[in-house]
Amino acid sequence: MRHSSILEYAHFRWFKGAAALCAGAAVAYLWHNPPIKPYGGTWLGYTLGTIAALLIVWLMAYGVRKRRYRSRMGTVQGWLSAHVYLGTALVVIATLHTGFELGWNVHTLAYVLMLLVVASGFYGVYLYLRVPGAMTDNLGDDTLQSIVLRVADIDREMRAKAMSLPDALLALVDFSIAGTRLGGNFMRVVSGRDPACATAAAVNRWSSTARGALAGSGNLEREVFGLLLEKQQLLERARRGLRHKALLDLWLYAHVPLAFMLLAALAAHIASVFLYW
Amino acid sequence: MRGAPGASASRKAVSAEWVRVGRHAASEIFLPDPRVALAQGMIVWRDGLVYLEGEAGTASRTVTQRTVRSVRLNAGEGIDIGPYRLEAIAAPAGYDGAVSVELAHALESAPDLKARASRLTLASLGLAKRPIAWVVFLMVLALCLVIPAGRVLHMPWTPAADRAGVTDRAWNPGPLMLAHQTIATRCSACHQVAFAHVRDEACLECHAKTTRHDGAVLAHAGLLAGERCTTCHLEHKGTKATHRDDDGFCVACHRDLRAKVPDAHAMNASDFARDHPAFRLTLREGDAVRRVRMGEGAISQQTHLEFPHAKHLDPKGVKSPDKGRVKLDCSSCHVPDASRRSFEPVTFAQRCQECHTLQFEPAVTAREVPHGKPADAAMVIDEFYANLALKGTPDSFQKAFGVPGEGLLRRVGDPSEAQRRNALALASAKAKRVAVDLFEVRACKQCHEVARRDVKGAPPRWEIAPVTMNRRWMPHARFDHQAHAQQKCGDCHDVARSKASSDVAMPGIAKCRECHGGSRPVEGKITSNCMLCHGFHDSTERWDPGFVPRGPARVAEDRDAR
Repeated sequence: MRHSSILEYAHFRWFKGAAALCAGAAVAYLWHNPPIKPYGGTWLGYTLGTIAALLIVWLMAYGVRKRRYRSRMGTVQGWLSAHVYLGTALVVIATLHTGFELGWNVHTLAYVLMLLVVASGFYGVYLYLRVPGAMTDNLGDDTLQSIVLRVADIDREMRAKAMSLPDALLALVDFSIAGTRLGGNFMRVVSGRDPACATAAAVNRWSSTARGALAGSGNLEREVFGLLLEKQQLLERARRGLRHKALLDLWLYAHVPLAFMLLAALAAHIASVFLYW
Repeated sequence: MRGAPGASASRKAVSAEWVRVGRHAASEIFLPDPRVALAQGMIVWRDGLVYLEGEAGTASRTVTQRTVRSVRLNAGEGIDIGPYRLEAIAAPAGYDGAVSVELAHALESAPDLKARASRLTLASLGLAKRPIAWVVFLMVLALCLVIPAGRVLHMPWTPAADRAGVTDRAWNPGPLMLAHQTIATRCSACHQVAFAHVRDEACLECHAKTTRHDGAVLAHAGLLAGERCTTCHLEHKGTKATHRDDDGFCVACHRDLRAKVPDAHAMNASDFARDHPAFRLTLREGDAVRRVRMGEGAISQQTHLEFPHAKHLDPKGVKSPDKGRVKLDCSSCHVPDASRRSFEPVTFAQRCQECHTLQFEPAVTAREVPHGKPADAAMVIDEFYANLALKGTPDSFQKAFGVPGEGLLRRVGDPSEAQRRNALALASAKAKRVAVDLFEVRACKQCHEVARRDVKGAPPRWEIAPVTMNRRWMPHARFDHQAHAQQKCGDCHDVARSKASSDVAMPGIAKCRECHGGSRPVEGKITSNCMLCHGFHDSTERWDPGFVPRGPARVAEDRDAR
C-alpha cells in the first residue's frame, strides 16, 4: 500500500478547501471597487484582515493540538494537512488584504514575517516528503539504538580477537573503541559526518600498520579489519540517521520563533491601526 | 596462576627452553590483557629463573623500546608486568621453578559507544525552541508596540524612546500628501484621540473656511449627516492627493436626486456620456440672473452693446485710423488672465480705443473724451471750448468755432459785457453741437444705447445703458482654457458670423462630448468623471459654522487634559 502523505490527506480535502478560499478572496478583490484604492482599511480589507488574523491564530494552535494527546477534535494528521494548505492560502489572503500597499513600517514587517514563516513551512513540508524515505533507506529495519548495540558487540568481538594481534594493530583497535563518538556537537549531528572519527582513522591506517607489523597474523588480521570496516559502515549509517532526525527538527527553530515574532508584529499592527484609527 | 578476583586459581605445567610471557595466545604464560604486549617477555633458566623483557618494554600502545631488561626471580620477589604481578615461588618437586601470576589491576572496561553517544538530538545540545520563541516574541512586542505606544498613551518612557528612535513612526502606513508634509512628524495633528477616527475638528483647525456641498437651501435635508472629512479624504495614500477620484460618491445621490430630497430641482446626472443634462447658462442682466437650459433654441442675452464679431473678424481686415487695414483675430481682444484658465475682461481703453478714438475736435487737438460717465465727457467738451473761447489763439479759435477771432482774455482791453455773453454763447453752442455729434452720431452711438434728456435751461444730459459683460457662464463648472490651448477658439465659440453681441456663443454639451466620454474608458474619448469639471465644496456656507479654532491657524498640539 502506497504511503499517503499529509498532502493527500482525505483525498486532498484541505487542498480543495484552501483553493476555494483563495478563489473566493480573489474574486471578491477583483469585484470590489474601492473609492480611492484598495488597502487594508476598506470593508473588504477589514474582512480579509480578520480572516487572516484568525487563520494565523488557528495555525499557531496546531502546536497546542499536537500536544493534546487525548483530544478527539479531528486527527493530528488532518490538522497538519489543514495547517499546510491553509497556511499557503494565508499568503494569498494577507497579500490581498494589503492591497499591495507596502512600505518600511510595522505593518509590512508583519507581512514579511508571515512570508518567512510560510517559506520555512514550505521547507518543512519538503523535508517531510523527502527525509522519512531517506531514513528508511538508511536504517531499514534497524533503529539508532540497535545500531549502537551492534557497534558495542563489534567492539567486544574486535577487542577479543585483536588481543592476538601485534601491538600496533591492537593499538588501532583500542583507539577505535575508545575514541569513537556519536554526535556531541551541532556540526557533527547536523552534517552527519565526523571528520575526526577514530574508527575511520584506524581503518585508514590499518593497511600500512599491518604491513609493518609482525607477519603471520594472516586470517585474524583480515577478520579484525573486516570487523573494523563493518563498524565504520554502521557508524556512518548511525550518523546519517542522526542527521535526518536533526533536519526534521532544525527547520522548526526557524518556523516556530518566526511565528511568534509574527504574532507580536501582528498584535502591533492591529493595535496601531486602531490606535490611530 | 590466579586470574581475576573471584576466579579460581589454575595450575599449569610447562616444559620448554624458554617460557614466553605475553598477550600472544601461544605464550606459555598467557596474559590476556590489552595492557600487556603481544610478546611481553620470557622467562629463562640461568641458574635460577630470570625474566627477560625484549622489544616492548612497556605497555602495548607505546613506541618500541630497545632496552632489554633482565631480572632474577628470587623466591619471594615479584615483578609487575602490566597489571599482573609475577612472583617466584618455591618450585614443587620435579620442577626447576615456579611462578605465580596474579591480576593485580582489573581491566576497566572502556566505556562503550553508548557512553560517548549521549548528545544526539538538537534539544540535547542545548538548543531549545521555546526560550528562543519567548525571547523574540517579547522583543518584537516591545520594540514594535509597547515602546512606540508610549507617545499616544502618555507613557513615561517616551522621551527615552524618542532619543533611541523607537517611535511610532514605524506605524506610519504611507507617505503624506505634499502639502501635509510640514506636519508629517506630528501624528497628533490629525490623530487627536486614541481609538477614534480622525475628527473633523482636526481638519478644520487649518481648513476652517471649507464650505459645504449642500447649500443653505438643502441644509435641512441633512444629506451628508454622519459623513466625516475622512469619508472622502484619505491620507497616507501617496503624495499627490487625498480625495477619492471616482464617481461613486457623486452618482450615489445625483443619479436620483428626488429620492433623497423630494424638492430638489436640479436634474439627475450619472455619467457624462450617457446621462448628463444639457448645460444651463447663467445669464446676468443688470442685477437679474436667469439660468437658461441650452438646446431649446438659440439663446440671446441683452448686453446693451453694439458689437458685431463678424465685422471685426472680417478676413479682409478692419480699417484702422493710422495703420490701414488690420486683420484681427480672437487674441487681439481676448487676452488670457494670469492663471490662463480664463481671460482678462475686455476693456475699451485696452482693446477698442486704438481704433475707436473718442476725439472730438481733431482739427485742434488729439484729446479724447474719457470713456466713463457721460457727464464727465460732456464736461470735458464744455471745458475745452470754454477754454478756447477764453484763451484760444486765433488759429485754434478759427478752426474750432469756424469764425475768425481769438480768446476773450487775449484781446486788448477788458472785455465788454456783450463780448462776454457772446463768448459764452459761442462756447456753449459749439460744445453742445460737438457733444450731440459725439454722443449721438459719431462715437458713443456706434456701440452704446444713448438716450438724451433735455433739461430746461441747462445742457442736455445723456444716459448710456450699462453694458452687461457676462464672464461666468457656468459658475458650477470649472473650465480651464489652458488645458484646451491646442484647440482653436472657433472650434467651440462660433462667432465668425455673429452680427450682434446678444448672440451667445457658448458651446453646448454636444460640443464637449466630441472629445469627452463618460466615466468608463472608451477608445478615442477622454475618460471624464464628475471631478474633471465639478467640485464638491462649492456652496458658500461653512462646513461647520460653529467651529472655532483653538488658536490662529496652527496645527493642533498634543492632546491636553481633556
